[in-house]
Amino acid sequence: MTDLLALVVQQSINGIYLGCLYVMVALGLTLIYGVLNQINFAHADFVTVGAFAAFFTVTRLGTKLLGLPDTAAYLLSMVTALGVGAGLGLAINAAVFAPLRERGDELRPLIATIGVSVLLENFQLWLFGPIPFQFDSPFSRETIRIGRIFFTAQSVLVVAVSAVSIAALYAFMKFTFLGKALRAVAQDRETAGLMGINPNLLIALTIVIASALAGMGGALLGPVLVLTPFAGATVIVKSFAIVIIGGFGNVQGTIIAGLLVGVIEAFTVQYLGSGLIDLVVFVLLLVMLVVRPTGLIAERKEENV
Amino acid sequence: MLLEVENLELAYGEVPACRDISFGVGEGEIVTLIGSNGAGKSTTLRGVAGAMLPRKGRILFNGEDVTRMPAHRRALAGVALVPEGRRVFPALTVRENLEMGGFKYRNNQGKIRTLIDRAMEMFPRLRERTGQRAGTLSGGEQQMLALSRALMSEPLLLCMDEPSLGLAPMVVQDIFRSIRAVNQAGTSVLLVEQNAHYALETASRGYVLQTGAIIASGSCDALKQDQRVKEAYLGRK
Repeated sequence: MTDLLALVVQQSINGIYLGCLYVMVALGLTLIYGVLNQINFAHADFVTVGAFAAFFTVTRLGTKLLGLPDTAAYLLSMVTALGVGAGLGLAINAAVFAPLRERGDELRPLIATIGVSVLLENFQLWLFGPIPFQFDSPFSRETIRIGRIFFTAQSVLVVAVSAVSIAALYAFMKFTFLGKALRAVAQDRETAGLMGINPNLLIALTIVIASALAGMGGALLGPVLVLTPFAGATVIVKSFAIVIIGGFGNVQGTIIAGLLVGVIEAFTVQYLGSGLIDLVVFVLLLVMLVVRPTGLIAERKEENV
Repeated sequence: MLLEVENLELAYGEVPACRDISFGVGEGEIVTLIGSNGAGKSTTLRGVAGAMLPRKGRILFNGEDVTRMPAHRRALAGVALVPEGRRVFPALTVRENLEMGGFKYRNNQGKIRTLIDRAMEMFPRLRERTGQRAGTLSGGEQQMLALSRALMSEPLLLCMDEPSLGLAPMVVQDIFRSIRAVNQAGTSVLLVEQNAHYALETASRGYVLQTGAIIASGSCDALKQDQRVKEAYLGRK
């Protein structure tokens, strides 16, 4: 293998790993937008909550209470983060978003997502304080080497978990009655109601799925984040960029855009330096907004989800 | 009476779209609401289906007060609406659209398959298009799909909102023939139409709406002779 080829393969692998992390966060944003036509500014905080849930599963529940080896504890932490994310999504929708939507107002639920964000951040600040936690995945220590290509077991795990999540989401949307109903609600909420579908239930389900993905994304991202109550904010801006590049509300576009941004980042680090990552990604965003404002996969809005 | 509407008032924001509307649909009947554009026909129909909740008045369906019942529960109770402009789910396939119409039978795949077969017997064109996205269908095909989708729930009352709108005369005749067939099979129909010719030929009774209020009612034969109806809607003196 030539040096160049090895380098390209290596950076592509790094990029896909990074991209999968972004996709896990961005998918929820795009799902909520696709179904509710609403931006969820609290999404980053679901990632943070998931990361903390995972952290305490690894350091307390898994290893101390259950006496698991740290690898098993980390695998368990993904499940708890998923569950905590889903539960929090369900609770906040029921307590805040649903009653506001009931009044038929579009702006108030949007503002409420900012309120929920502030609330969650400060609640975690009160619980955990501002000092970063050291969250290590035991899989990051395992390095796999194939020829001149190196990657960690953690990156394999992240890519596998993301792939399974995406496949499960796709199968749910495509083949189950409830998934089809969810797409129907996304395309035409009122008409879906006329079919006997309760739109509020499916909106709640969408928020639960999005929050569960964000929570699990937190477990996967935890080891690469500086884990503070504001950790989610560091990935959310890029996730918004990905959602816009992919076409707001477009699941397929978001997945492609997430992987693309990951790969571009990896090559930026290689050739331009890590300080320029954000510059490159947001220049790409601006170019996309000018050249192709509907996103990578241009379809009519109602056909996205 | 299967459907009884009493003193219904519906409004968009502060502006009432119809006031003091009272009418009924008996079991097995086809009843039509006619009137010009903006008379409040569609609004009234949306009120019946629960897509809009009324400001005043009462709606009784099958002996039950459904005035405050949301649309999805009214659909399960037996009201189906074919909305104005068809409103098929554009990114779902023809089959998926039909499945959504049969949402209340979602746990009974056999039932859904039987109902889809029945729909495709009624409109063989849909069989050729099962896997196609509904957004790619022609207007006539979409109307066939919207009607079949509504029938998937085996409704007691079928509400049709402007089925002739934007369709070629041949297709319109097809649709109206189907509506009559559905009715003969036992489903009551509430038909809103701008085309008073078609409406009065199809229905047995009718109500005439003007600027949000009922100004005349009676059997369709009598309405055809009514001077106001003749002048305003049938285009003859």
